[in-house]
Amino acid sequence: MIKKSIQKVYLALIFILLYAPIVTLMVLSFNESRTRAKWGGFTLKWYQELFKNEQIMSAFYTTLVIAFLAAAAATVIGTAASIAIQGMKQRWRTMYMGLTNIPMMNAEIVMGVSLMLLFIALRMTLGFGTILIAHITFNIPYVILSVSPKLRQTSRHTYEAALDLGASPLKAFFKVVFPDIVPGVLSGFMLAFTMSLDDFVITHFTKGPGIDTLSTKIYTEVRKGIKPEIYALSTILFVSVLVLLILVNYSPDGKEEEGAKKKVRKPSRAKVIFLRRIVPAAICILFVFGGIYYAGENQMMNSEKVVVYNWGEYIDPEVLTMFEEETGIDVVYEEFETNEILYPKISSGAIAYDAVCPSDYMIQRMMENDLLAEIDFDNIPNIKYIGSQYMEQSRQFDPENKYSVPYCWGTVGILYNKTMVDEPVDSWGILWDEKYRDNILMQDSVRDAFGVALRYLGYSLNSTDLDELTEARDLLIEQKPLVQAYVIDQVRDKMIGNEAAIGVIYSGEAIYTQKENPDLEYVVPKEGSNIWIDSWVIPKNAENKENAEKFINFLCRPDIALMNFEYITYSTPNTEAREMIEDEAIRNSTIAFPDLEELPELETFQYLGQKADETYGELWNQVKSS
Amino acid sequence: MKSKRLLAGPYLFWSVSFVVIPLLVIVYYAFTNDEGGFTFSNLAQITTAENLKALGLSILLSLVSTVVCLLLAYPLAMILSQNNVSQTSFIVLIFILPMWMNFLLRTMAWQTLLEKNGVINSILEFLHLPALEIINTPAAIILGMVYNFLPFMVLPIYNVLVKIDPNVLNAARDLGANSVQTFLKVTLPLSIPGVISGITMVFVPALTTFVISDLLGGGKILLIGNVIEQSFKQNSNWHVGSGLSLVLMVFIIASMAMVAKYDKEDGGAAF
Repeated sequence: MIKKSIQKVYLALIFILLYAPIVTLMVLSFNESRTRAKWGGFTLKWYQELFKNEQIMSAFYTTLVIAFLAAAAATVIGTAASIAIQGMKQRWRTMYMGLTNIPMMNAEIVMGVSLMLLFIALRMTLGFGTILIAHITFNIPYVILSVSPKLRQTSRHTYEAALDLGASPLKAFFKVVFPDIVPGVLSGFMLAFTMSLDDFVITHFTKGPGIDTLSTKIYTEVRKGIKPEIYALSTILFVSVLVLLILVNYSPDGKEEEGAKKKVRKPSRAKVIFLRRIVPAAICILFVFGGIYYAGENQMMNSEKVVVYNWGEYIDPEVLTMFEEETGIDVVYEEFETNEILYPKISSGAIAYDAVCPSDYMIQRMMENDLLAEIDFDNIPNIKYIGSQYMEQSRQFDPENKYSVPYCWGTVGILYNKTMVDEPVDSWGILWDEKYRDNILMQDSVRDAFGVALRYLGYSLNSTDLDELTEARDLLIEQKPLVQAYVIDQVRDKMIGNEAAIGVIYSGEAIYTQKENPDLEYVVPKEGSNIWIDSWVIPKNAENKENAEKFINFLCRPDIALMNFEYITYSTPNTEAREMIEDEAIRNSTIAFPDLEELPELETFQYLGQKADETYGELWNQVKSS
Repeated sequence: MKSKRLLAGPYLFWSVSFVVIPLLVIVYYAFTNDEGGFTFSNLAQITTAENLKALGLSILLSLVSTVVCLLLAYPLAMILSQNNVSQTSFIVLIFILPMWMNFLLRTMAWQTLLEKNGVINSILEFLHLPALEIINTPAAIILGMVYNFLPFMVLPIYNVLVKIDPNVLNAARDLGANSVQTFLKVTLPLSIPGVISGITMVFVPALTTFVISDLLGGGKILLIGNVIEQSFKQNSNWHVGSGLSLVLMVFIIASMAMVAKYDKEDGGAAF
C-alpha cells in the first residue's frame, strides 16, 4: 500500500513538472495585460482577437499542413524502408541504421544550415517546398525507429505460411504483416507529426518570405514580447488534442468488456460511435475547414505584389490590410530578428525582397557591397513629411539621401526603477555599481554592449582600435558578475515586472514600459550614447521596385505613420504624424521626441568591415564565456 | 526478396540527397575560407579558450541532465509499465502531449515560473519559505533540458520494460531471487537497449541546444550551440560555424559509438 502511494506521489510530481509551464501559458491566455510580467485581470478578448488575426491563423494552418504532409510522406517512405531493411543482411542493415541515426544525432542547427546551403546552391526558392523537404527528412528516422522494433517482433513464418497458402506477396503483407505493425506505423506518424509541429530551428533556416509556421512566428515575436493571441491559440490547440485523446481512450468502449462481465448496462453502441468517431471527426473537420478558410483568406487575390522584409512586430498589421485594399497590391510579409540575419539573405540573392528595413550601419554595409537600388523619390511625394533633421541624420550612412527613407529612430539609454534606485541616474557608471548586483540587465548584442562600455570609457562606439576594444572587453568582464541577464527583447517585460532595477534599452521600448509601469524612468547617460535610424531601402534585385516605392510612400503618409507609432511606440521621423498625436504628454515626450541639441553626444553605428566584425565577435565571446 | 529491397530505394535517395549531401556541403565550408582556399583554421577555432570552455560546459550540463533524466525516468517507466496495459497509448501520449504547446513557449513559461518575482517564488513567499534563485544560472538550464527532454528518456525505457515477459520475472522469483536481485539481474539488463536510446536522445539535443541556454541562462552562459549559432547569425561567418559544427558532429559520433558498444541489438526500441 505504501509502495502504491509513493508511486502515486512520484507520478504526481512528474506531472506537475511536465504540466506547470503549460498551465502557466493557459493562464496567460486569459491575462488582460499584454505583457507576461503582470496580471491585469481576467479577459477573453485574446480569443476573439485571435480569429481576427490572419497572420497568426495562417501561420497556424501552414504549421498543420506541413506537419501533416511531412508526417504522411515520412510514414510511407519510412515504413517501406523499414520493411526492406528488415530483410537485409546484417552488414547492410547496420549501414542503413547508421544512415537513419545521422539526423537523430546531428545538431538541429547543423541540419538546418546544411539544408539551407544545399537549397541555395540548387537555386531552389526557399518556401513551403523547402520546409516540407526538411521536415520529411528529419521525420523519416522517427518512423523507422517506431516501425522497426514492431517488425522485428513479427514472425517470418506466418508471412511464409501465407505465401504457401497461395497469397500473393502483396496480399500476404497486407493481411499478415501489416496488421502487426500498424501500432508502430501509427505511433511513428504521430511522433513525426508532433516533431514537425514543434520544430523551430530547422524551419527557421529553410523558410522563405511570406511563409511562417507557428514556431518562426513566435520567434520573431520574442523580440517584442509574445502576443497574447499566441497563448490563446496554443491553449485551444492543446485542449482540443487533450479532448480528442480522452474521447478516444476513455470513452465507454475501454470499459466495455468489464461492463459486460459485470452485467452492468452496456453503453449503447450509438454512444460509443458518437464519442469515439463522430466527435473526433467533427473536431478534425473543423480544423480542416478552418484551414481552407484561412488559406483562402490568405490567397493572393491580385497579380501585383510587394515582398516586404521588416523587423518582428514593427508595423501595425492593420496598415498592411489598408495598403492592400487601397492599392490592390498584395503584401508578402516576412520578419527578421537582427540586422546580421538579414544581411546574408540579401547578399546571397536567394530571395528577391522589394522593401527592407535595416538599421543605419547595415544600410551602409549593403551600399558598400552594391546591394541597394536608388530610390526614385518622384514616386515618394510623402517624403516631405519626414523631418529634415532626420534626413540630415541619415547622411551619416547614406551621404546623398539616395537609398533610404527613415522609418523609426531612437536612442539607447538606461531604464531604471525609481523605487529601487535612490540616487539620480545620469551615467553609464551605475551599470558597474556593486549595489545593484543581480539587478542589472544588459543588451545581448555585440555592438550595443560594446557601445555602452566604449562610451563609458570615453571612446567612440565605432572604435576599431584594439587597445580600446580590449579595455572595453575587460570592463564588460568586470561587469558580468553584477549582471542579472543579457537580454534583447525581455528588458521590457522584466522591467515592467520589477525583476530588475536597471536595464539598457531602446527609447521606443521605454515609452511602452512607462505606460505599463509608471515607476520606470529613462535617461540617456551623459557620456553619450547611440542614436539609430531604421530606414526603408530597396535591394538591387527587387522585382517589384515601383510597388515597393508605393509601399514606402504609403508608410510616409502621416495618418499611417501615426498608426504605426501608436502600435510600435518607436519614435517616428514623420513630423506631420507627430503633430497629430492626441496625447499631449506623448507628443511632447522627451523620450519619444528629444531635442537632439540638449542630449549628450550621440553617435550612429557605422559598418566597420568584416575584420572588425570578427574582432568584436571574438571579444564578445570572451566576455560571454568568462 | 529482390523486390523487397527496392522498398528502401526512396529512402536511400532521400537520405543521400537531403542528409548526406548537405553534410558534405558543411564539410566543404569547414575546410575552406572566404576565398575558397583550403584551410584548417576553422576547425582550429575549437581550441580557443572560450570555445573550449563553452564545449566543456555543454558537455557537463548535458551529462548532468542526462543523468537526472535517467534517474527520474527509470522509476517512472517502471511504474507506468506495471500499470494497466490497455492504456499504453494514453500514457505515451501524455508525455508527447506537452509538445503540442510550442517548444519556445514552454521554455519561456519556465522563465515566468522561475523569475525572482515569478510564480514559484510568489508561492514560496506566501508559505514563508526561502526564495528559489536559480534563474539565469546553469541550474535553470539543466531544469530546462530535463523538462524538454524527459519524454525522450521515458518512452524508450517504457517501451522495453512493457515488452519484458512477466514469466521471466516470475521465473527469477521462483528460483529464489528477491526483488532487488530480480531487478539487477533480469529487468535492468533487459532494459539496456531502451536506456541507451534514451541516453542518446537526451544527450545529443542537450549538448547542442542554444535556445534553452538563451532563454533560461539569461545570456550569461555560453554553450557550444550558442557559439555555432552566433557564428552563423551574428558574425555571418559560415566557415567558422561549419568548422565548429563539424567538430561537434565528430564528437557526438565518437561518444555515441562508445555508448553503442554496449548495445547489442542496433539501438532500435526507441519508440
